[in-house]
Amino acid sequence: MSAVAQHLRVWAASARYSLTRALMFRGDFIIWALVELFWMGVNLLLVEVIYRHTDSIAGWNRAEMLLLLGTSLLIQRLLMGFFWSGLYDLGRNVRNGHLDFFLAQPGSVMFMVSTRKLDPDGLVNSVVALGLVIYAAGELGLRPTPGQLALYAALVGCGLVIHYSVLMLSTASVFWLTSAQGVEGGYFSLIEFSRMPREAFRGAAEVIFVWLLPVVVVSNAPARVLLYGFEPAWVLGLAGFAALWLGLAVLVFHRGLRRYASASS
Amino acid sequence: MLRAAGKYRQAFLLGLQGSLVYRWNFAVRGFFSLFHLAAVFILWGAAFAGRDQVGGFDLRQTLTYFTTILFLQFLISAFNEDYQISEEIRQGLINQFLLKPINYFLYRLSIFAAARLVSGALILLPLAAAYPFIHDALAFPGEPWRLAAAVPALVLSALVQFTIAYCFGLLTFWFLEIQGLVVLSMAVEAVLGGQIFPLDLLPPALHETARLLPFYYQMYFPAAILTGRIGPAETAEGLALQAGWVVLLLLLAQALWVRGLRRHTAVGG
Repeated sequence: MSAVAQHLRVWAASARYSLTRALMFRGDFIIWALVELFWMGVNLLLVEVIYRHTDSIAGWNRAEMLLLLGTSLLIQRLLMGFFWSGLYDLGRNVRNGHLDFFLAQPGSVMFMVSTRKLDPDGLVNSVVALGLVIYAAGELGLRPTPGQLALYAALVGCGLVIHYSVLMLSTASVFWLTSAQGVEGGYFSLIEFSRMPREAFRGAAEVIFVWLLPVVVVSNAPARVLLYGFEPAWVLGLAGFAALWLGLAVLVFHRGLRRYASASS
Repeated sequence: MLRAAGKYRQAFLLGLQGSLVYRWNFAVRGFFSLFHLAAVFILWGAAFAGRDQVGGFDLRQTLTYFTTILFLQFLISAFNEDYQISEEIRQGLINQFLLKPINYFLYRLSIFAAARLVSGALILLPLAAAYPFIHDALAFPGEPWRLAAAVPALVLSALVQFTIAYCFGLLTFWFLEIQGLVVLSMAVEAVLGGQIFPLDLLPPALHETARLLPFYYQMYFPAAILTGRIGPAETAEGLALQAGWVVLLLLLAQALWVRGLRRHTAVGG
């Protein structure tokens, strides 16, 4: 069996376990799904309140802004659904030595650490976020071609890779810092920028949040595919960023892993 | 009376020591909150482009409001007090307080006051670092009565914040896991407390409704006094409503404590 197929089988087993667990604790699942839904509602409300008083934010109208917000939330919910719990636990596991359990598993340690848990509540809300994208596209009268839809899905995938890589880089700092709690908070601070149009960034903010940190292009690039079709600079830029940040995350994680000394690290 | 005050003074000092242990945690949190402030400045800067006012206030007034909110979040917000209380109930640590002549609410309030003193002081560091870049964007009204009115408003806001967190913590007497409920309520509190946008930007009917709820007095009310979003008459009326909410929440907290203790079973030492 190829290594990819083997990893997929391990992932499918983890996913089955997570779903069974969610069904066992249904009340918990409902509460946390509501938590995410409420926080998505908060972002939506902010957009609605601002557009009560203005017609445009950096040249984007209300429906375009909802499309951008929906795309940003979609990527974030997918991250929460597929990777958040695993990466959140990584910090704790390095501190208390439970990472040993993952080292003994038959496959890539980074893969095992990242995919150990699936959060169905995050995945349920990714459907809500997708609903927001579809609603906004309807408001704008967009009729995307199959090619545009495929490209949008691919760029959302690239966005997910970037989010995952940034979160992994933040969490992997635990190998050096012992506690990554504050650093994880930094990831959530950065997410805020992904809900804003790229045109809103000027001067130093443009250099930092558009060029140095990929927090703006991550949602703007897919949203622009639906709005304006294929724009090579945006598409290739996001794909390049995704490859670069994933490479960096893999490098830093494995460097960190070398420092791991079981329970005493 | 003095002996009683001495007990809570000791609790306050212990809380101070405990919070200072986590000073770096607060400092890192404070540093990252500057990213949030940057996002707010960029978003509202773009929303104001081409217009002088939004909702009757200019850009500088709006940015001053959000900067004040950030400071108040560290000065009077309940951070994880609900979780700490919940853990003490769940793990049976609360039993020790039932046997001693100490009021659990006042004990926890003393620790809360100490923690906010530390976090409120530490947020001044990143704000001071950011000041050279943001001072042109700030415009405080400079009317002395606002500072005088803000002091009782801030004390009452801290009490509203803490008492709501305390009540959530006490729900552990009934529910094993309250973290989901807490985060759910955080979303409601963030919106109706004016942390996401100034509440005066809501449609008038919704703004009036929000004014009657306790969340309005958690954060928006003192921030609105300090940044000139409300006048003297509304401030006086607000202080009365805020005091009313404090009394109601204290009564609720006491009722939850008495009823919760009836359900509580202390096991072991």
